[in-house]
Amino acid sequence: MALKQISSNKCFGGLQKVFEHDSVELNCKMKFAIYLPPKAETGKCPALYWLSGLTCTEQNFISKSGYHQAASEHGLVVIAPDTSPRGCNIKGEDESWDFGTGAGFYVDATEHPWKTNYRMYSYVTEELPQLINANFPVDPQRMSIFGHSMGGHGALICALKNPGKYKSVSAFAPICNPVICPWGKKAFNGYLGADQSKWKAYDATHLVKSFPGSQLDILIDQGKDDQFLSDGQLLPDNFIAACTEKKIPVVFRLQEGYDHSYYFIATFITDHIRHHAKYLNV
Amino acid sequence: MTSEPRGAARGPSQRDLEEEVDELVHLYGLEDDDELGDEFVNENMPRIEVSEYPAYVVPGREPAVGQRDWRLSGEAAEAEDLSFGGWGSEGQCQDLREAYRYTHGRASEEYECYVIPEEEDEEEAPDVFCVTCKTPIRALEKVLDEHKEHEVTPLSKALESAKDEIHRNMYRLEKQIIEMENFASHLEEVFITVEENFGRQEQNFESHYNEILETLAQKYEEKIQALVEKKKEKLEALYGQLVSCGENLDTCKELMETVEEICHEEKVDFIKDAVAMADRLRKFLETKTDVEISAQPALEDQTLDFSDVEQLLGSINTIPAPSAPVINPQAPNSATGSSVRVCWSLYSDDTVESYQLSYRPVRDGSPGTDHAESTVTVKETYCSVANLVPNTQYEFRVTAQNRAGLSPASECAVYMTAPSPPVIKSKEVRSCEEAALICWESGNLNPVDSYTVELIQAETPGASGVTESVVGIPTCESLVQLQPRQSYTIYVRALNVGGPSARSEPATVHTTGSYFRLNEQTCHPWLTISEDGLTAVRSERKTPTREPPPSSTRFTRCVAVMGNLIPVRGHHYWEVEVDERSDYTVGVAFEDVPKQEDLGANCLSWCMRHTWASPRHKYEFLHNKTTPDIRITVAPKKIGILLDYENSKLSFFNVDISQHLYTFSCQLHQFVHPCFSLEKPGCLKIHNGISVPKHVTFY
Repeated sequence: MALKQISSNKCFGGLQKVFEHDSVELNCKMKFAIYLPPKAETGKCPALYWLSGLTCTEQNFISKSGYHQAASEHGLVVIAPDTSPRGCNIKGEDESWDFGTGAGFYVDATEHPWKTNYRMYSYVTEELPQLINANFPVDPQRMSIFGHSMGGHGALICALKNPGKYKSVSAFAPICNPVICPWGKKAFNGYLGADQSKWKAYDATHLVKSFPGSQLDILIDQGKDDQFLSDGQLLPDNFIAACTEKKIPVVFRLQEGYDHSYYFIATFITDHIRHHAKYLNV
Repeated sequence: MTSEPRGAARGPSQRDLEEEVDELVHLYGLEDDDELGDEFVNENMPRIEVSEYPAYVVPGREPAVGQRDWRLSGEAAEAEDLSFGGWGSEGQCQDLREAYRYTHGRASEEYECYVIPEEEDEEEAPDVFCVTCKTPIRALEKVLDEHKEHEVTPLSKALESAKDEIHRNMYRLEKQIIEMENFASHLEEVFITVEENFGRQEQNFESHYNEILETLAQKYEEKIQALVEKKKEKLEALYGQLVSCGENLDTCKELMETVEEICHEEKVDFIKDAVAMADRLRKFLETKTDVEISAQPALEDQTLDFSDVEQLLGSINTIPAPSAPVINPQAPNSATGSSVRVCWSLYSDDTVESYQLSYRPVRDGSPGTDHAESTVTVKETYCSVANLVPNTQYEFRVTAQNRAGLSPASECAVYMTAPSPPVIKSKEVRSCEEAALICWESGNLNPVDSYTVELIQAETPGASGVTESVVGIPTCESLVQLQPRQSYTIYVRALNVGGPSARSEPATVHTTGSYFRLNEQTCHPWLTISEDGLTAVRSERKTPTREPPPSSTRFTRCVAVMGNLIPVRGHHYWEVEVDERSDYTVGVAFEDVPKQEDLGANCLSWCMRHTWASPRHKYEFLHNKTTPDIRITVAPKKIGILLDYENSKLSFFNVDISQHLYTFSCQLHQFVHPCFSLEKPGCLKIHNGISVPKHVTFY
């Protein structure tokens, strides 16, 4: 698969690049950002995947989060894909900011007209890693995933649906229980249809209940002043309760005064990178 | 060779050697004395012959004595005179040495006798050797009558055997020379000693005799003085008598004249005066005149008392009692805990048969400490006195003794025994990866000067097992620098002026992780600390007892205890085993954290608190009463705590799943100690000596 480099900037001794490629799963051109730390020049590094939230592209994370220093120090390759297929010309894809373009919800859609392109789950878990492994100095055995909001939801479900694939997972203000929050209901309804049993397969709180292993160590940061928290979109309590029940190790931090923005992400991104480095650099 | 009268000191071997040499000389026709003799004789030097002592030249004080020939026998020398004159003087010894240097300096090869001369005359040269006659002969002569029956060997063979024999004898000669040289130098020493002894005796005699003479002179003076006094007495008495006699005479004469005058007077006047005169005369004549001589002319014989002079004469032959020895100050490090080595020396060249060393412990002023003196008799000028008490001062005095009596006692010297070894408080040893804090008990009632800590790194390839010492420690504790991940054996010694004590019992330190124990002094009364100082238990209480009074060291309101962490910066890691169902608090606090408050309720402590309110676990990370909002889904059973002074951080971990829980940023301007509390009955167990796990290193 041909990769086209869109940009390259040196940052903290490494290189922040953006590539474009033709995606098979999504049937369109997709961009992704990739940071290669200094260590990548001399050897293979572990890979850390970042999934962004609603309305984001591959640009938000790399320009706002300030993650480069930690990634450089810990020697991690950080990959940040887009949040949905682009330019597919599907009717209704731009109607809402929380459904369609920029709101892929990291599922494989089963409903028409989304099922052809909106296969973000497969893209993130299969196609993109294969692409990265083939073209960049990464160790295919060492992979972790994290994200924000909808991306947090995406990270959690990817990790829970693929025990052992990811060494660690963490999230910023994730949508923990989409099947009962407004965002989730809207998205799943659109992508997966009315059968709610199909929705559970993409719900972190539900997935935890049947998660076989306890190998995961989950770090979640949540801004206390996050409006979406108070709007009931995020529902972390449900997830924590389920994890407590299943004895899945979670450290959930409610951060006083912080909101849903990238300022919040920037504050704690170093903790998350370190969290992953601990498991990736073993 | 000349033959001389031999001295009695000559041995028989000497004579044989001479004869052999003579024979060989004769054999080889080396009759010419001068050839051989010249090599040895030097006119200006004393004459040296191989088998005889050289003659001594006496530069001496009395030229009349002239050259003294050693070869004169002992009796002859005595006959001369007793004045050995310059014997033993510098010059003589000098000559003796020079004489020997002359012979000693010659290599054996130089001796002419090693050279076997070639036969010069070829014609009619003897070519066989007659063993019987011991003479070379011509072969032809063999058949002659003279040598007909004799054994004959070829001349060359005879030459060889003769050579060998000569060499052997030369070797023996050399040995003899060395022996004699040694003997002579030994004699030289004896020489000198005799002279010294003489000198001492001479001085002794001189002083004694002077004493006697002085005593005699003094006695003479005394006696004469007494006689003079006596004479004066007598003369005065006599003079007195003379004077009164004279007076008497005058009176008589006067009376007589008066009587004559009366007789020439008229009858009437005469009768008047005569009666008066008759009275007067009568009275006068009645008084007795003493005509006895009051003083006897003869002066009494004086008795002369020479008993003390006799005594002095009697003591002349005895050696004096010695003078007081000089006792040395204590040599450093010469004492042990129970013994000291006392040394002294003689003040002068006294003859001493034995010494008496007396000692007692120095009085420290308190009643009942008057110890009896002990005495020991020795022949040497030193003594190791044992069975003493450690870390104690003793006074020592020594007297010298010989036949004449005891010397006065020497000055008193104070010696001190080394201290007893200290006792390391093993339970209180604290350590981390870079250092250890050791404390100990002195082991001695009285103070010592200082302590020494000895460290031995355990034998590993790369470690030398060398002992390192830290000296001059003034108090009973020491913080020592160590290498990480090693094992050390540590000893302590006490030191005083007498020397170091024996080593204490060892303590072992492993510099893996940090080691500390719970401090009983800080422990709330409701907590029980285990023997090993690592477990704290709060038991069920049916009826809670009264709260103890406030204290600055002991927790009162808060059922807590602190650990004693080594005061070294860097990082420290330990783990606490907890009961998921119990309410506990673990963290760190400054030493002066208020003991009436809960842990984490002030800014002098940081801790993690777990509260179990079934079925929920509540976790708080408290400092200054505030905590972030943190939920933890899996209750840790073992909590790892990392204290990082460098980065001012305190982190908590779930050890079993290597999960990071929380990190405080804390300003640690002073040292902190681990702290623990149990809000409900339960138990906390501390695990020490763990090096920082990898997952923790990320924090």
